[in-house]
Amino acid sequence: MTAKLVKTEAVVEGRTEVRWTLVEEDDTPEFEDGAPTRPVGEPTPRISARARTTGSARYTVDVALPGLLEAVVLRSPHANARVTSLDLDAARAVPGVRCVLGPGEGPEHAGSPLTDAPAFAGAAIAVVAADTPDAAEAGVAALAPEYEVLGFVSTIDDGFEKQDFLEEPTEHVRGDPDAALSAAEVTVEASYAVPAQLHNSLEPHAAVADWREDGLTVWSSTQAIFDARSTIADAFGLEPDQVRIICEFMGGGFGSKFGVGPQGLLAAELSRRARRPVRLVNSRREENLAAGFRTPAKMDYTIGASRDGRLEAVEATAMIGMGTGGWPFPVLEPVKSVYACPNLRLMTAPVRMNLGPSAAFRAPGVMEGTFGFEQALDELAEKVGIDPIEIRRLNHTENDPESGKPYTSKGLLKAYERAAELAGWEGRDGLRGDGRVRRGMGVASQYWWGAGGPPAYAEVRIGKSARPTVTVGLQDLGTGTMTACAVIASERLGIPAGEITVHAGDTSRIGHGPASGGSMTLASIAPAVRMAAHSVRTDILGLAADMFEIAASDLTLEDGEIRSVDGTLREPVTEVTGKLGNAWISGSGSRGPNPDGMNVNTFGCQIAQIAVDTGTGAVTVERVVAVHDIGRVVNPMGARSQVMGGVLQAIGFALMEERVVDPTTGTVVNAGLEDYKVPTIADVPEVVCEFVGDPDPHLRMGVKGLGEPPIIPTAAAIGNALAHALGVRLREAPYTPRRVLEALGA
Amino acid sequence: MQVRLTINGQPHELDVAPHRSLADVLRTDLAMTGTKVACAEGTCGSCTVLLDGRAVLSCLTFASACDSSKVATVEGSTPLLERLRDAFTAHDGFQCGFCTPGQLMSAVALLQRTPRPSRAEIRTAMAGNLCRCGAYEGIEQAVAAAAEAG
Ligand code: FES
Ligand code: FES
Repeated sequence: MTAKLVKTEAVVEGRTEVRWTLVEEDDTPEFEDGAPTRPVGEPTPRISARARTTGSARYTVDVALPGLLEAVVLRSPHANARVTSLDLDAARAVPGVRCVLGPGEGPEHAGSPLTDAPAFAGAAIAVVAADTPDAAEAGVAALAPEYEVLGFVSTIDDGFEKQDFLEEPTEHVRGDPDAALSAAEVTVEASYAVPAQLHNSLEPHAAVADWREDGLTVWSSTQAIFDARSTIADAFGLEPDQVRIICEFMGGGFGSKFGVGPQGLLAAELSRRARRPVRLVNSRREENLAAGFRTPAKMDYTIGASRDGRLEAVEATAMIGMGTGGWPFPVLEPVKSVYACPNLRLMTAPVRMNLGPSAAFRAPGVMEGTFGFEQALDELAEKVGIDPIEIRRLNHTENDPESGKPYTSKGLLKAYERAAELAGWEGRDGLRGDGRVRRGMGVASQYWWGAGGPPAYAEVRIGKSARPTVTVGLQDLGTGTMTACAVIASERLGIPAGEITVHAGDTSRIGHGPASGGSMTLASIAPAVRMAAHSVRTDILGLAADMFEIAASDLTLEDGEIRSVDGTLREPVTEVTGKLGNAWISGSGSRGPNPDGMNVNTFGCQIAQIAVDTGTGAVTVERVVAVHDIGRVVNPMGARSQVMGGVLQAIGFALMEERVVDPTTGTVVNAGLEDYKVPTIADVPEVVCEFVGDPDPHLRMGVKGLGEPPIIPTAAAIGNALAHALGVRLREAPYTPRRVLEALGA
Repeated sequence: MQVRLTINGQPHELDVAPHRSLADVLRTDLAMTGTKVACAEGTCGSCTVLLDGRAVLSCLTFASACDSSKVATVEGSTPLLERLRDAFTAHDGFQCGFCTPGQLMSAVALLQRTPRPSRAEIRTAMAGNLCRCGAYEGIEQAVAAAAEAG
C-alpha cells in the first residue's frame, strides 16, 4: 500500500494543532445505508471484564519488580515559602534509603520537579527512594526541613488585584460590541462563579521506572503513552525508541494524566542513579494538592438582545484561577460558538494563585463556561418572556459563527426536539408545586469538538486458530476504547468481539495512537482499525476464493464462517486460516485527515429535573435527559456508561464538589475524600440517554467523540432547573444546602 | 509478628510488622494486587475485603490483628462472586475497574447478609464504595441481577 505525508488540522480541547502525518491509502468501503453494521452499533460488554473482575488487571500501582524501591516525596506544608534548611545527608544515612534527590535535581535535560521555593502547599521539595515505604518515610522525616514562610494569594480576586497573571489576559472581539450593546432593546447582566473541582481518579498518579543499560521502561498511569515517551526521552537525552512506556490498565484520569508527570521523571531519575527499579505513587492528599484541578472561575456576562430574544451582542469576562501552572482553557467558548451572535467582546484573565498547577478536567473550560452562559441565556429568556428551548432554537446557527465554516454534521435541533419530548418539557410548569419540596426543570445546550485526527495506526493479525489480535498505540483509561476497537474489527472479520484480543498501552508494539483526551480517541483510531481489519478480510476472502473456487466478491465473513452470498457455502474461517501454519495474515491501517474547510463538532441537549427541599436546602437531581449528536455510535453500552459518568461528575460539580482553601494559611483543607464530597451510588438519578446524530458523512465511519459531551450541559441544566423551582437564581456553584437556604433568605 | 490467615481458602503463615495494614500485606507480601488502595484512609471503599465474612476496609485493618481469620478477596472464586462477575460484565458495572474489586466484595457481603435486597438496601450497602467513573447505575443493576440469579 502506498503511504503519503499529509498536513492536517486537529482540534485538541479548543486549540488547533497542525500536524504532518503519514497516511496510507484507504480503500475500505463505507457502511452502506441500511446495510447491517453488526456488531457496530450493538451493545457489547467490555472485553477486559474478566481481568477487571478477578483482580488480575495490572494497573501501574500494582507493578512490582525484583529489587523495587519505593519513593516518597517531601512536600511543602506552606502556600508560599523558601526552604532555609534541608538535611539531605541525614536522609541518605537512614537505613534502607538508596537515593535522595533534593531541590533542583532531576533529569539532566528537563527542569527539576523539585524546588526550594515551593509556591503552593504540596509542592515537591525532595524525594527519597528506599527498600520499603517505611524506610522512605523515615528518610523524608530525616530531611527536617525549615522554611521561611512568605505571603500568598489564595483567591481569584486577590490575584487579580495584584495583577499577577500566569499568561497575559486576552481579548477577542467580533463585530462592534459597544455599538450593538448600547443599541440593544434588551440587556441582561449576569455573573456566575464556579469552584475548583478535584479529579480524584481512583488510581492516583503513579509511575514505576526501570533504568537498564539497554533502555528505560516506565509504567505510567498516563492518558498519552506517546507524549509520555517523548517527554522522558527528551528529559534524559535518549532516543524515543530507547524508552518504552507501558500502561496496561488505568484507573481513570479525566484529563489530569497527560504525559508522565513529575512521578515519571522522578522515578526514572531515581532508577538511573540507584540502578534499581523505582515506584512512585501519589497519596490521595498529594493527588488533591499537586495533581491538578478544574480551574475555579468568575464569569460576567452582559447580553444585548432584540425584544424577541435574538442575541445582538455579548460582552463576557472570565477570571480563571490558574494556580501555579497549566494552561487557560476556553471558558468563553460557549459564548463564541454555540449561538449566532454578530458582536462579541470576550476577555479572559488567567490569574496566578499559590495553589498547585491546574490540569484539564473533562471538557476543561467549556463545562464551566456552559454553566455560566447557559444560565445567563435563561435569564434573557425570562426577561423577554420566551421559553428556554425556544430561545435556543431562535439563536441556532448552521455555520460556525466565528469562521463561517459549515459543520460536517449538526444534530442540535433534533436534540432539542427529542430531549423536550423525553423530558415532558411541555408540562414543566406543572411540576413546581407550592409545598416544602419544589420541583423544577432546566435545559442547556452542549457544544464540543471531537473529530480526532491522525496520526493513529492500527494493526490486525489473524493466525491459524482464527483468534485475531488488534494492536493500537493508545491507552484505555476506562472509557472502553479497546472494546470499541474489538467491535470495529469484529464487523469486518465476522468473528465475535469477545474472541478478539486488543493490545494497547505499550509504545514498543506499534506507532503512534491518539491520547485519551479531548473526545478524540475513538474518532481517531476507529477508521484505522477498520482499515486494518478490512485488509485482513480481503486477504482471507482472496484465499477462500482460490480454495473454494468462488469469486471473492461473492464471499463474506460472518459468525466465524466464510459464506457465499447465495448461501451454498458455509465453512468455518479456520478452513482457511488453519492452512497458515506458523504464518499469519496481517493488515495495517491509518487514520486519514479531517475534511478541509469544515468544522467537526459534537452537539447535544440535556434537561434536568430536580427537587429542592426548601426546609433543608437539599437539592436532589431526579432525572436527566441526555440527548447528544456524536455521529455513529460504535458501542451503545459503553456510550451509555460514558454518559452516566459525565452526568454524575457534573452533578458532583453542581451540588457538592468544591476545593476549600483556608484563607489564613492558603492551604487546602479538604484534600481527603472524607471532606471533599464526590457523588456516591445514592446520588444517581434516572438518566434517559439517546443519541440522535447520524453517522457523520464527512468522516470515515462517521464516528465523533463522546468523552466530554455528557459532562458539559448537566450542571447548567441543574442551575436552570433550580431557578425554575425556586424563582431565584443561585450565582455560585456548588449548590449546597447552605447556599440554597441563603438564596431563600432562610 | 507471626500471623496465620486463610485467604480465599488457602492457609498462609506470615511474619508482619505490627503496624502494617492488611491491604499492604495482601498487595506486597502476597502479591495479591487485586485489592486496591485509592485513599489509604478509610474513605473510598476500594480496599474492601471480607474478614470472617464481614466487609472491612483493609487499609484500616492491621494484618497483625487478623490472626486465625478467614480473608476473602476479589481473587477468590465462589459461586456468588462468579455470579457477581457475570452481572457486572453484563451491566457494565465498571469503567476503569479500579473500584471494582471493592465493589464486588461489598456486594458479596451484602448478598450473603441479605440475599434479596431492595434497591434502597443496595444503595445503602454500596454507598461507601466510591466510583469516580460513575458506573453506579450498572453496579446497582448488577447487584440486583446477581441477587435475582441466586
Ligand atoms: S483505600 Fe481503604 S478505604 Fe480507601
Ligand atoms: S470504574 Fe473507575 S472508579 Fe469505578
